[in-house]
Amino acid sequence: MTGHLHHHHHHAEHAHSHDGGAGHAITVTTIIGSRIDPMLSRWLHDIQHHGQVETISLETRDMARRRLRAITDHGTECMIALPRTECLYDGAVLLMEDRRAIVVRVSQENWLRLRPVTAADALSLGYAAGNLHWRVRFTGGDLEIALEEPADTYLARIADLIERGRVVVVTPKARAA
Amino acid sequence: MMLDRLFAPTPDGQSRPALHGAARIGIGGPVGSGKTALIEQLLPMLQARGISVAVITNDLVTAEDAERLRRSGIIDPARVLAVEAGACPHTVIREDPTLNLLAADELDERFPDVELVIIESGGDNLASTFSLDLVDWWIFVIDVAGGGDIPRKRGPGVLQCDLLVVNKIDLAPHVGVDLAQMLAEAEAVRDGRPIIGTNCRSGFHIDAVAEAIARAVLVER
Repeated sequence: MTGHLHHHHHHAEHAHSHDGGAGHAITVTTIIGSRIDPMLSRWLHDIQHHGQVETISLETRDMARRRLRAITDHGTECMIALPRTECLYDGAVLLMEDRRAIVVRVSQENWLRLRPVTAADALSLGYAAGNLHWRVRFTGGDLEIALEEPADTYLARIADLIERGRVVVVTPKARAA
Repeated sequence: MMLDRLFAPTPDGQSRPALHGAARIGIGGPVGSGKTALIEQLLPMLQARGISVAVITNDLVTAEDAERLRRSGIIDPARVLAVEAGACPHTVIREDPTLNLLAADELDERFPDVELVIIESGGDNLASTFSLDLVDWWIFVIDVAGGGDIPRKRGPGVLQCDLLVVNKIDLAPHVGVDLAQMLAEAEAVRDGRPIIGTNCRSGFHIDAVAEAIARAVLVER
């Protein structure tokens, strides 16, 4: 094993296995760094070959939490307690050991893309989205809504605009009917 | 900077590391559903578990709920802060939670031993939700006397909260509510996420709420 790997004993300090054994709860109190950091990415690569890199999948809305429990894809329970100044992100490395690492992945976020026909329709759609506190982004002249519930739930709130053809569902197409 | 953090010495030899600051939870729900009553029941139970707690109340234009808790004798009055929310109680827990963040920071600073800050929202409607920038986890309280059809109305508060508390279950027969059906409908709209039926007057099931809080935000004993 190459020299740099022995450092792993030190960074294990930031994430404590309660009894040191695999498969038991781990407390995480800081983010070690990003998986795309050159040094961490090299370490992760090594661990992939000699041990296992475990993944925690989180939805976008859960990324703002500072205290949460999560289970990795290998069944390791993680108790995450971050300082208020830190925030989870896609690729955050939570644990680095000789033969094990834990990395956060954000689950794919789905967007409902809507296209208003005229400027007046865009005003109506924008008003509805704001009034209902939807999380949105703009793509060209389209409005995209982050789906935290099934798309139909959102479309039902603007059924009038959809039925009158004032707003067109661009994606997901299957929901357009 | 990353290296400094990686190789920082371990602060102590405990098997369980000290956690940074206090966990923050929210308790929201309509006017009169029992938010303050729930907190009054929870405080002794959390304290009995050895969990050090502080509370932030949000009222419209008074400090009514804060005063009620301060006078209750169940918590050091200095550990209760009041935020006056003005006309829009949901704004200060969702769109711009600055006032509540400052209050929580102040409690962290004044009482370094505090492990859990409970933020009670002002009474609002079913659309009220907490920003996860403000709290780590939140409860929405509805009550049986408010109507058995509340879950069916799919309010964002009911849908999105981490724990739904259905309070005043003892009143169901008196207000013509089929409790079993109300709970089943709540479970259906929440995709099976947790719901606890309580009676905050008698203390029924408050232990289950305390347990859910302690487990969710890692202040278990």
